[in-house]
Amino acid sequence: MTLTRREFLRRLGAFAGAWAGLSQLGEPVLRFLRARQIRWPWYRPEEIRVTYNYCDMCMWRCGMRVYSVNGRVVKVEGNPKDPKSRGRLCGRGQAAVAHLYDPDRLRKPLIRTGERGTWSFREATWEEALDRAAEALARLRDQYGPESVAWFAHTTGDFWFGDYLPLAFGSPNVGKPSTGLCLTPREIAAQITFGRGVGGHEPVDWENTRYIVLIGNHIGENAHNTVMQDFARALARGAKLVVVDPRYSTAAMKAHRWLPIKPGTDTALLLAWMNVLITEGLYDREYIEKYTIGFERLAEHIQPFTPEWAAPITELPAEVIREVAREMAAHRPRAVVPPGRHVVWYGNDTQRMRALFILNVLLGNIGRPGGFYIPRAPALDPYPHPPFPVEVAAGGCGAAAAGLKIPDTPGHPPRADGVGSKFATGPVVIQELIEPMITGQPYPIRGLVVYGVNLFHSIPNVPRTIEALKRLEFVLAIDVLPQEHLAWADIILPEATFLERYDELWVASHRTPYIALREPAVEPLPDTRPGWWIARELGMRLGLADYFAWSDIEEYLNTRLMSVGLSLEKLREAEGIFTWSGKPYLEDYGEGETPFPTPSGKIEIYSEALARAGFDPLPVYEPVEEPPPGYFRLLYGRHPLHTFGKTQNNPWLAEVYPENEVWINEEAAAALGLKTGDRVILENQDGVRSGPVRVRATPRIRKDAVYLVHGFGHRGSRLSRAEGRGASDNMLITRYRLDPISGGAGMRVNFVRLIREV
Amino acid sequence: MARLAMLIDLSRCLGCQACVIACKAGREIPPGERWIEIREVVVGRFPELRGAFVPHRCFHCAEAACVQVCPTRALYKKDGFTVVDFERCTGCGYCAEVCPFGVPRIMDGRVSKCASCLDLVQMGWEPWCVQTCPAGALQCGPREEILTEARTRVAALRDRYPNAQIYGETQMGGLGVILILTEPPEVLGLPPQPQMPPLALWKGGAQPLSLGALVLSVITSGIAFFIARRRHLEENGARKGSEPITPASETRKE
Ligand code: SF4
Ligand code: SF4
Ligand code: SF4
Repeated sequence: MTLTRREFLRRLGAFAGAWAGLSQLGEPVLRFLRARQIRWPWYRPEEIRVTYNYCDMCMWRCGMRVYSVNGRVVKVEGNPKDPKSRGRLCGRGQAAVAHLYDPDRLRKPLIRTGERGTWSFREATWEEALDRAAEALARLRDQYGPESVAWFAHTTGDFWFGDYLPLAFGSPNVGKPSTGLCLTPREIAAQITFGRGVGGHEPVDWENTRYIVLIGNHIGENAHNTVMQDFARALARGAKLVVVDPRYSTAAMKAHRWLPIKPGTDTALLLAWMNVLITEGLYDREYIEKYTIGFERLAEHIQPFTPEWAAPITELPAEVIREVAREMAAHRPRAVVPPGRHVVWYGNDTQRMRALFILNVLLGNIGRPGGFYIPRAPALDPYPHPPFPVEVAAGGCGAAAAGLKIPDTPGHPPRADGVGSKFATGPVVIQELIEPMITGQPYPIRGLVVYGVNLFHSIPNVPRTIEALKRLEFVLAIDVLPQEHLAWADIILPEATFLERYDELWVASHRTPYIALREPAVEPLPDTRPGWWIARELGMRLGLADYFAWSDIEEYLNTRLMSVGLSLEKLREAEGIFTWSGKPYLEDYGEGETPFPTPSGKIEIYSEALARAGFDPLPVYEPVEEPPPGYFRLLYGRHPLHTFGKTQNNPWLAEVYPENEVWINEEAAAALGLKTGDRVILENQDGVRSGPVRVRATPRIRKDAVYLVHGFGHRGSRLSRAEGRGASDNMLITRYRLDPISGGAGMRVNFVRLIREV
Repeated sequence: MARLAMLIDLSRCLGCQACVIACKAGREIPPGERWIEIREVVVGRFPELRGAFVPHRCFHCAEAACVQVCPTRALYKKDGFTVVDFERCTGCGYCAEVCPFGVPRIMDGRVSKCASCLDLVQMGWEPWCVQTCPAGALQCGPREEILTEARTRVAALRDRYPNAQIYGETQMGGLGVILILTEPPEVLGLPPQPQMPPLALWKGGAQPLSLGALVLSVITSGIAFFIARRRHLEENGARKGSEPITPASETRKE
């Protein structure tokens, strides 16, 4: 019954003839067919142009086919050849067309005319805007050194402004929110334990797993397409599911057991599970012997952490803790505890993630079917360029530094984020680059280039960010939408959306390594430009022509593709995706070959490196601060139709989920005299208040916490649909606890009370 | 074409609403309209909770009340689905009034409901919602095959969901949407035995008498318009009538 897309397109061609007759009757006829919803496509089929892309509606990068007609994108869908989308898209991906045609998009380069923060701009030509931006950057570089300019970048186009141009420019201060505000502790923990990061796409072998334990993992609300697909199929195949979450999440609805853990106590639960596995002799002895070091010290360390010890801490029954451990063991190695994303909670997050990884190791599931596969990346050469003056430090999703080495380049300015003093290691953490803008310590940052990062919805302590923005000598913003922080820029450059531009190839580390093409489906809106073009124009003006030796992006891409025997043409013929085979399991590795490039070549349960650096070599539980009376712990997370602070203005997504609500336990709400639909203001421990937000009184959350979907509460933007809708969690996160190992900003340490709006 | 049906497996649906947006995108539905609504149902008290997402959309009844009352034949049955000829629709609102599931809306002077993507299916493709559903909760195919698949799945689900059952096999002459439920229908806000409203029966019988009925229908459609409009206003307010019956529970639509 179902056809392949290729076959579909062939058939379209076949009845194109019949259609031509009809459609030659002209637009009225087409309108008629369309109004009657008689058949899709209601365009002349031969007019449909298919291009390939990878989705930018979140950072997951699902492969897409883009259908356009007469220079207009009419529909996107998953590219069946893509290992991530497999022909399907999530709701955000489906709404890409609405993003492209969002009437609020930036349409002209803008130059500031009045006070920062007041949206006083005049339109400018690209020539003028680029000249002035490059002048300002060159002045800072020449006067204070390239390190005086920080570069913040995110989205799937961040290569140009988060990697390439800043490195050529020579600044080590390149921050991505995906590190210190999201994944760094997890990646560092994996690096220490396995000698390799988890990577942006968690390599869970869903297909073969029989028992899943989610802890800090919100599949379904976190709508990463591939994960939803794999998760739903694993459950349909009969895998058992345990969900640990203070909230009855979407995933919890599907679970065999829901463990409503007390927030902040996850490490205690993980330790107790290890205790049961070890004291009851349920762990995978053979695996431990063959692939790991340091087990004996763990066995000793774990003794006191019994389920009975963990029960009062986690507020979960000891018996349940014990049973789950036994069930896990009964299913090993086809039992898995997938690491969550956004792990920056309490500032001890590297240790919590270490605990999670070691628990998996005890189940013997790393590199085994039903546990974790071992991903690989294709090896493409970069476009030849002179060496960069500084070393790559920005990382990205899944970036980890080598062990505990501090990644600086000798003879060059050190990073300003306090690595080596405030925290031990890892890629640049974006939030620690704010202080140098204010205090000038360890040295002043005077300029900022910000690409696709909403400064007020990602970096905690917004008042501090505003203070920094007031002091900066120069701020350049490159974006698609008039997000609120753009009001603080000196120059704004409007970028074309991902559907209107070429971009760097997506080189994916995966079970099957692959590359994906992003090519324009339609012309950019007049006066918007692709990121690569903007970066190149700035680079040329900054005297970096040697780094931009290519004449256009097609030459750039072709040259890179040539290194693996491909070309743009061939990649297009291959429907935008080229895949290699991988080595997913341990058995794919021969004698003397290890997938664990740690100093010992084994999985390091006990970490010498951590011990030497003065940290706990085995994970320990540290109690976290409790909310004061009358306050709730502020938890935040995702809605499946929204990504960060990026999508709230999308016409379709805003229609279906226009604003967030504050979830509060129904009994706790009743005690406060609140009910669903009431409007309240949230006030945090520092007296900072949110905008008004609706109450959602629900049994789906514990009494000690409230929950907000992240990314709402835009204030001071020029986003006509999103402005003023809902409350911003990030505004309420005025403090955080820095993880001393990775520099992750633990943000679950804020408390709020609810005040009825009057 | 054989009698077709869709399958909605509530044990798989993750409430991600990709279907909602895919439908909106693929059918180019005007702003403010949606043909799928994902309702969330959670029952019980903390921490003993059970929950599901219920995609609420046209159920494509075999004996469709809306088709029977539609005076302009804008709604009609084809290959098991209740399809729409939007050009014929005058926005009288009968369908909205009689649908036992409260599905059709009158938006901008015409009916607004799932029109089934039969065009895509005829090309050998899948409806937009089915194509995209990441969880694989949706399927479309010959109704007999869908029913067989549903039976197999329900049998496998009994362990995890003791109340797992098929919905739509017999209701309203057999629905064109077969649901796999994880809870009894009344818990999930679905009428266990939806009824053809008397108005539809009357109209169904009266229609063959054509002329007289037609005159009548012109008169009644005026009345129906007001009913529909009132109902529409109500829905915007309190959503009376379509609220699932879930005592001591929480039910909401996203
Ligand atoms: S998960 Fe959704 S938004 Fe993210 S890349 Fe895939 S389709 Fe796009
Ligand atoms: S796309 Fe599938 S999983 Fe998502 S809400 Fe629709 S039916 Fe449910
Ligand atoms: S079948 Fe087509 S019209 Fe109906 S809900 Fe699915 S996508 Fe929408």
